[in-house]
Amino acid sequence: MKLFQTCYEKLARRRGRLLLPVLLLLGLALAWLPQLRIGDSIVAMLPDGNSQVARDFGLLQKTPFSRKLVIQLQAAKTVSTADLVAATDQLGQRLPAELFTHLQSGPGDMGKLALLNDLGKYLAVLATKQDLQTIAERLTPEQVDRQMAENLGKLLQPQGVALKEQIRRDPLNLTPLALQKLLYLNPLPGVRIEQGHFISADRRSSLILADTPVLMTDAAGARRLVDAFQQAAAQLPAGISASLLSGHPYTLANTEIIKADMGRVLLVSGIGLLALFLIFLRRRQALSVFLLPFASMLLALVVTSWWYPQLSGITVGFGAVLLGITIDYGLHVYFALCRSNDGRGARLQAVARPLLFGGLTTLVAFAVLLRSELPGQRQLAVFAVTGILVALLLALFVLPQLVGAAVTRPELRKGYRRPLFERHPKLRWTVLGVWLASMIFCAVGAQQLRINGELRRLSYVPPALAQAEQQLAAHWGNMRGRAMIFAAGADLQRALQRNEEVWQRLGRHQLQDQVVSLAPLYPPLALQQQRQLHWHNFWAEKQPVADELLVQAGAKYGFTANAFAPFDQFLNTDPGPLDLAVLQSWGLGDLLGNFIFQDGSEFQVLTLLPDRPELIAVLDGEFADLSGVTLVSQSHFGRQLSRAIAGDFSSFIATAGIVVLILLIVLFRKLADVLLAVLPVLSGLLFMFGWMGWLGVEMNLFNVVASILIIGLGVDYGIFMTCHSRQPQDLGSGQAILVSGLTTLVGFGALVVARHPALYSIGITVLLGICAAVPTAVLVIPAFRPKRW
Amino acid sequence: MKIAQRLWITLLITLLTCSATVTRAADLATVLTEVKAVAGQTDTLYSHFTQEKHLDIMAETLLSQGLFAYRKPDHLRWELLTPIASGFVLRGQQGERWNGLSRELERFSVDRDPLMGMIAQQLLAWARVDLDWLQQRYVMELVSEQPLQLKLTPRDAGEAGFIDHLEIFFAADRRYVEQVVLVEKSGDSTRLRFTDVKVNGSLPDDIFAAPGF
Repeated sequence: MKLFQTCYEKLARRRGRLLLPVLLLLGLALAWLPQLRIGDSIVAMLPDGNSQVARDFGLLQKTPFSRKLVIQLQAAKTVSTADLVAATDQLGQRLPAELFTHLQSGPGDMGKLALLNDLGKYLAVLATKQDLQTIAERLTPEQVDRQMAENLGKLLQPQGVALKEQIRRDPLNLTPLALQKLLYLNPLPGVRIEQGHFISADRRSSLILADTPVLMTDAAGARRLVDAFQQAAAQLPAGISASLLSGHPYTLANTEIIKADMGRVLLVSGIGLLALFLIFLRRRQALSVFLLPFASMLLALVVTSWWYPQLSGITVGFGAVLLGITIDYGLHVYFALCRSNDGRGARLQAVARPLLFGGLTTLVAFAVLLRSELPGQRQLAVFAVTGILVALLLALFVLPQLVGAAVTRPELRKGYRRPLFERHPKLRWTVLGVWLASMIFCAVGAQQLRINGELRRLSYVPPALAQAEQQLAAHWGNMRGRAMIFAAGADLQRALQRNEEVWQRLGRHQLQDQVVSLAPLYPPLALQQQRQLHWHNFWAEKQPVADELLVQAGAKYGFTANAFAPFDQFLNTDPGPLDLAVLQSWGLGDLLGNFIFQDGSEFQVLTLLPDRPELIAVLDGEFADLSGVTLVSQSHFGRQLSRAIAGDFSSFIATAGIVVLILLIVLFRKLADVLLAVLPVLSGLLFMFGWMGWLGVEMNLFNVVASILIIGLGVDYGIFMTCHSRQPQDLGSGQAILVSGLTTLVGFGALVVARHPALYSIGITVLLGICAAVPTAVLVIPAFRPKRW
Repeated sequence: MKIAQRLWITLLITLLTCSATVTRAADLATVLTEVKAVAGQTDTLYSHFTQEKHLDIMAETLLSQGLFAYRKPDHLRWELLTPIASGFVLRGQQGERWNGLSRELERFSVDRDPLMGMIAQQLLAWARVDLDWLQQRYVMELVSEQPLQLKLTPRDAGEAGFIDHLEIFFAADRRYVEQVVLVEKSGDSTRLRFTDVKVNGSLPDDIFAAPGF
């Protein structure tokens, strides 16, 4: 059945009837475009559903810490701390309140914090068994004597007037045991408090923490935020500078660098495509070949938007790039029809078979992505499959009517038609030798290829931001890169209960001193009641001993017998539960807001810890059996994402490989042909993996998707060249592959000039893969099977 | 008649009292201006002191002796020599305190230790005779003009919770404070007497360094 030949011949007589509906369809699609909703969140490229990575990412997004703006002020050596503090206040006042909310530059006047006076009263509900043990150890004549001497010393000092009642109430100095609980609640490891402000240990840096209503993914909002900050920072006195650290400057930097990159890349690829057109095509009619990808992309966008109401910007951008592949279909049809004006229908019929199979294999490769855990990749699959179908239809039915008559140049054609290896037989072995050596070299390099799921690697980090991050870490500890443990509960008490369990387990690994936790200061109510019981039992036994020791030691230092009567009252007074209202009354509301938050109907209590891989590995196992507890760390998250990518990629390669192989077997029905057809794709992938391994370029989310392009194109090249070797006609496949390879290189390989890591990684992947796939198709396949006429 | 006579006497007494109060207020302002002018010339102070504490919780009066040093603008040394060697030095916002009995030395910052911040502020205010600051915190009364004696009542509710009033006795030349009596709400009191006072003498840096243990 010569379907395409018949259609071509019939439509050639009624061209208008074909072109009019096509133009109408494209016009309607164009009119639909403004209704597209395109989002720009990276979430589309992260696993969704119930995967661990998706849950972790969701939690990370919701933490109060992740949304905090951190403003660091840096002072020169000549600037005094007082001036730095004044500049911090000035900057805070100059930041617009609609963009910068809940500004916090320190705990304020510590002297006014009721917390320091009242916390000791809650020792009964805060004291752990270890604390009681410590107290028991202090109840010896020597220790009490020493404490009594200290009490006397304090009374003699000027501050004795203020301390007298405290000494009477707490002669054994138990209050510091309660105050110590605060030490675990400091999220700024290197902080000092001076004049009520956060000051770094070297006294050269201060901090302002703030919230903002601007979403981290909102590039326009980020621009306003950064501009407002820079305007306020520009008014700082000489010798003091400020930097803003949050997701927003990164969003802005990435948006701007992508814009700049696209300009540069489009210029390079535009010049390249023009040069290719002038060298290889040089005809007005050939422009229709270049229009084919745009038409396919337009229709694919509309169809995908019916499927997904909101499209990911990444999907659209990347899909558009991938659909550049469809130009190859047009090139094959063009070169096949341009060879001669004789038997054009037969030529179209001949080229249709490899074109359909090539398209089908690419389509299957993309369709495999429908099973991906990444929603963006699933969108991409729908987008690409639709685009390829449309491109095939346009290439086989519409484009042949637009190509125009062939330009016949017999002398040139003769030269082209005489196969290379017929002209230079020795070259055949040279080509095979170089190819084999190169493949062995790449196979070795591929062993070193690493997959990296770290999202930060996909972002552009301007040097100024990187420096500010380093300074922040140097002055304040790694406050922005810590791992988090989430303890969830249907209500706050259950969340606190789990948080306590986390705290106890951290204790088993002697890690309590390295973490920031609410557990010591805010135990669950059940535990508070339990501790209070222990406290009363403890003092029921120890109080007579303590009283006797106090009277004896007190007498030695001149204290009267009833000097410490308030102590008994302190021991036996029920302080009541230590709850949120009490903690907030002590001015800890803002701080607590960083550790306790509501996630839907659930409460989450956070613990922060250093994000060290060996530590996370140990704790990952420790918390595995603890329901409602999730450990999330950037490094851990990166590893999980790497595993998800690797899993997705392996499954993709395996499924696509099997399906493509089946299609090739159906097409060629000969093992040798099938092997020949897969040579370009295997060579392209191996070359890409090998050189990435040798160059130390890691595989990331974007490389994975870019690999599909190599697979799709590589298989197409293989099918065309293998078909070409079996067919009597000269369909210009070698030339079409060469031109399509070059268009791919100038179109996508040009991305290697991009500064954005994600764009660069696409560029390097395509560059390497196509650089190997094209020569393999046009040289190695003919070298294995020289065409005979 | 008797009623008219009583009213007359009452009016006279009222007028006399008002007049005396106005005179006192005017005197206080004049005296304070004079003290400011004289004490403003003090760059350093060095003296010994004796402290008597009459505390309800102690069986006997607590007697102690020590030394005090000040250097403009914010250096202090407060040291008890007997009965327990202890004290602190302050250099700006930072300082060290020690206890000879436990042989412990501890650094502190007035920002992180509000109580020490308050004590340092008080001592510096007295050493500098910073009357503006003192007037913000205390209601001042002139008890005697020669020798100059003031009575100060705290304005701050927190301070007034445990301090009833302070009595300040100035030296004859009004260049420094010679004696302070602090009376607590509970009735406890502390008397500090400064002796061998040297004004504007040379004070080396090691005066403001903590002893080594």
